[in-house]
Amino acid sequence: MTSSPSDTEATVHPLQEFADHVAETVGGTASIEADTIKVRIAVDEWADALTKARDDLDLVFFSWLSAIDWANEVEAGDALNVEVDERFELLCTVGDLTEGRRVTFSTDLSKDKPSISSLVDVYAGANWHEREAAEMFGILFVGHPNLEHLYLLDSFIGNPLRKSYPLLSREVKPWPGSVDVEAMPEQSSGESGSPQTASTENPEA
Amino acid sequence: MVTDSDLVRHLGEASVSVELETEDMTLNIGPQHPSTHGVLRLVARVDGERAFDVKPVIGYMHRGYEKLSEVRTYPQITALINRIDWVSGYANEIPFVVAAEKLLGVEVPERAQYIRLILTEMARIASHFMFMASYPQELGALTPIMFSLRERERVLDLIEGVTGGRFHPNFNRIGGVKPNAGSGPTTKKTPQDLPAGFLAETRDAMDRVLVACDDLEDLVAGNEIVLARTKGIGILPPEVAAAYGVSGPNLRASGVNFDLRKAESYLPYDKFDFDVIVGETGDCWDRWWVRLQEMRESVKIVQQAVDGIPPSGPLQAKVPKVIKVPKGETYVRAENPKGEMGYYLVSDGGMGPYRLKIRSASFSNISILPWILEGVLMPDIIAIMGSLDFVLGDVDR
Repeated sequence: MTSSPSDTEATVHPLQEFADHVAETVGGTASIEADTIKVRIAVDEWADALTKARDDLDLVFFSWLSAIDWANEVEAGDALNVEVDERFELLCTVGDLTEGRRVTFSTDLSKDKPSISSLVDVYAGANWHEREAAEMFGILFVGHPNLEHLYLLDSFIGNPLRKSYPLLSREVKPWPGSVDVEAMPEQSSGESGSPQTASTENPEA
Repeated sequence: MVTDSDLVRHLGEASVSVELETEDMTLNIGPQHPSTHGVLRLVARVDGERAFDVKPVIGYMHRGYEKLSEVRTYPQITALINRIDWVSGYANEIPFVVAAEKLLGVEVPERAQYIRLILTEMARIASHFMFMASYPQELGALTPIMFSLRERERVLDLIEGVTGGRFHPNFNRIGGVKPNAGSGPTTKKTPQDLPAGFLAETRDAMDRVLVACDDLEDLVAGNEIVLARTKGIGILPPEVAAAYGVSGPNLRASGVNFDLRKAESYLPYDKFDFDVIVGETGDCWDRWWVRLQEMRESVKIVQQAVDGIPPSGPLQAKVPKVIKVPKGETYVRAENPKGEMGYYLVSDGGMGPYRLKIRSASFSNISILPWILEGVLMPDIIAIMGSLDFVLGDVDR
């Protein structure tokens, strides 16, 4: 069930053939990590590639769409261990309804005015997912019929899932778990990481 | 020359040829209505008896779990996420821990897998019982709720006996299931095994569930009013359902033979014999019928798992005391009672995820509402909404 990462690299993954086929059809590059096929696509070909995935690869089921904010400086949580290119990575997972195959498509958006063509005409379900990604990350989906706030109030300012957005409850009051739980042995030696998460480890877990 | 009688005839013809102009009205439904299972608001344009341009307004229960996950450690997150779909809290934990285990490369012991599977199916039975209780009630049939909730309580008691929680078990640990609660941080951890008599009680409870299914079928399937209000109402074609990401029983009711328990390998479902229940037309009635049959299939799975569970063995794989998931990304999805529930986990090697995308079933399931409620009769709004079986905690996350 769970295969270790080293196994998947050593032998050809059973999904490799399908992953290559997807990459060839939509024009991208495929990689497999922990049984998840990820196909990287250029920003300009986003909607075209997903249309091909739907029509030529029979990936008709729209699972989800969201983004990752790759940032080197964070206001909430731990910063990345390594330096990354600052960007938004847009992800969209679609699947078929016969074999149980699924593919996560991915593309990079610039931090400065991120915008991309909408998938609403390709998958009707993208409507709400794009609205969520738009308000949470500040990504503009060109061609979306009503890109208004989904969860947040109309008057809400900011994009909460950006790494630059502070978690205000933690700013106001530190995480109470830090006083209840004794520090783990490896934290006493000056373990890196923010004090918020570093001191919250539950010793029972 | 126009006579009086001509004039009368002319006026009579005129009055039938002019269409009745009705004025549109904007109707607000909710945010608090029993059929919304939480706080969902619908704004509809009503023309006579029909609703158009239905606009769901969500977000009243948005708790920001994706952001919160970024400042918490992996063991803490299981406590958060079983509050997403609180009707089947146990099932929410599974795809998350499996995602972390995949990146860690941890093999979960077989006995722990069986316990996970039994509890997941019990959560499915409890969730479907909730639907069996609430849906007929929304249609005006008040008896099934009594039968249904009584039996659901027995199932929840069993879950509580094992996990300590009826709704929010927080029972899964990365690498297995919960260690003994009283063992403290320094003593050697001894896994908490199933309570004495659990397997026998479960067998007994499953027999009762089957009886309850028969009772519910008699009560609801024989009810002319329920049939009249559900058959042919709210038909959802499979291709529309797929494009909107509608999953689970709602998708299968539309005739799609697809079940993640068969397609994915997050729990050892391949060892068990069960059928995927598929509807025919995709109307409200099929969505009810599919769920009823699924409960019977879940009973079959639990009965086989109770018979086949390894009598002893470890419940927890060897994992470090402080869990740091290696750098990587993965998406793990599971067939939850409401549909596809999945987590896209991005780890940078730290004690908590760098990003956790939560794909919840009800969110996509109710994104169909503007499509499916277009032009339906006012009373059918409630019949259709109820048949989709969503929970707002699962929508808003």
